[in-house]
Amino acid sequence: MGGNPIQFDFTVPATILSFLLLVYLLSKLAWKPLMKMMEERRTNIESMLASAENERQQAEKIKREYQEEMRKARHEAQEVIAKATKVSETRASEILAASHEEAEKIKKSALVDIQRERDRAIAEVKSQVADLSVLVAEKIIRQKLDLKGQGELIEQFIQEVGEMQ
Amino acid sequence: MIKEVHETVIWHWGAMTFHGKTLIMTWISMTAVLVFCYLGVRNLTSGKPGKMQNVLEMIVDFVKSVVADNMDYEKGRPLLSYLVTLIMFVFFSNMLGLIPNFTFGLLHDVHFAQLGHIFASPSMMSPTADINTTMALALLTIFLVVYLGIKTKGLHYFHHFIEPYPVFAIIHAIDLLSKPMTLAFRLFGNIFAGEILLGVILMLPGIWVLPGILPTTIWLAFSIFVGAIQSYVFVVLTTAYVSQAVSESH
Repeated sequence: MGGNPIQFDFTVPATILSFLLLVYLLSKLAWKPLMKMMEERRTNIESMLASAENERQQAEKIKREYQEEMRKARHEAQEVIAKATKVSETRASEILAASHEEAEKIKKSALVDIQRERDRAIAEVKSQVADLSVLVAEKIIRQKLDLKGQGELIEQFIQEVGEMQ
Repeated sequence: MIKEVHETVIWHWGAMTFHGKTLIMTWISMTAVLVFCYLGVRNLTSGKPGKMQNVLEMIVDFVKSVVADNMDYEKGRPLLSYLVTLIMFVFFSNMLGLIPNFTFGLLHDVHFAQLGHIFASPSMMSPTADINTTMALALLTIFLVVYLGIKTKGLHYFHHFIEPYPVFAIIHAIDLLSKPMTLAFRLFGNIFAGEILLGVILMLPGIWVLPGILPTTIWLAFSIFVGAIQSYVFVVLTTAYVSQAVSESH
């Protein structure tokens, strides 16, 4: 064949056929499924990204709602506390006023009682004093009556008793 | 010396002759590509890809980017399968010539299809080190260019041959003919020269065998580089020619 490496023969069509067979086999068995998978992965990732974005937005929304709700709840709680404070204050002042009144009433009735007791005690003392003085008078009279000269003394005593009444 | 490196084995079939060694090596390369791709697509998943699937996806993405750089990607999409197959086949073919002959002379006495002669050299042979293979691939490229040109533009495709004046048809014809020629001879020359030099280094006389390890290693590494570059160049040029044919500007 000599040393010339450039010789064309039917190797060319044979190689073309072989190579076309290789292209056919590979595109059917390898590239088509492989590219399909790559495309699938691409769409998968795209949809995952989209859903992640979606979820993020949803989470944001929920967070905002919660914050709003929390704010409202706090507001309400404050209102409730304020109302309760007000109610308790009025209630306390009412109670205080009522107790003042009660105390006043009790004091008054106590004073009346005391007055009455005192009057009664005075009256009693008076009557007892009168009784006692009568007794004393009786005793003295009985001791000294027979003694002469005592007439003016008795007179005076009776007079004094009479003045007391 | 060339004859000693690549002993041409001729198959006869009727009146037709074939380069037996080239065809055998072509089929070995094809098998290698098929096995490689089979390993990649064995457990296809759209989730987390395995190692081999990842490699295949990288190759596909690489060719995709080459196509997208040269032309409208939607127009180039049908070409993708062809181009990925092409780059892998050319690359595997270029690598085949760097692999030592692991048959250990077992086929020496096999006369069927002259296999004994085919596996006689110290290394395997790149199918791309035969002008027939590279010319076949280049012719396919040019068929593809003309076919896609007619498919996208109809008969208007031929209009660009007489632009701006009919006399330019000669230049355009030379341009069309030179495309497959340059494609074929560039690849052939690079790989063939690489194999010749590899064979020459391997033929160093006995005393040089051990010191020859260093130049062999360097040359093998460089040949891997050249093989990769040439497969890339072949695919890029094919894409560029096709994009010229289908673009609107012509």
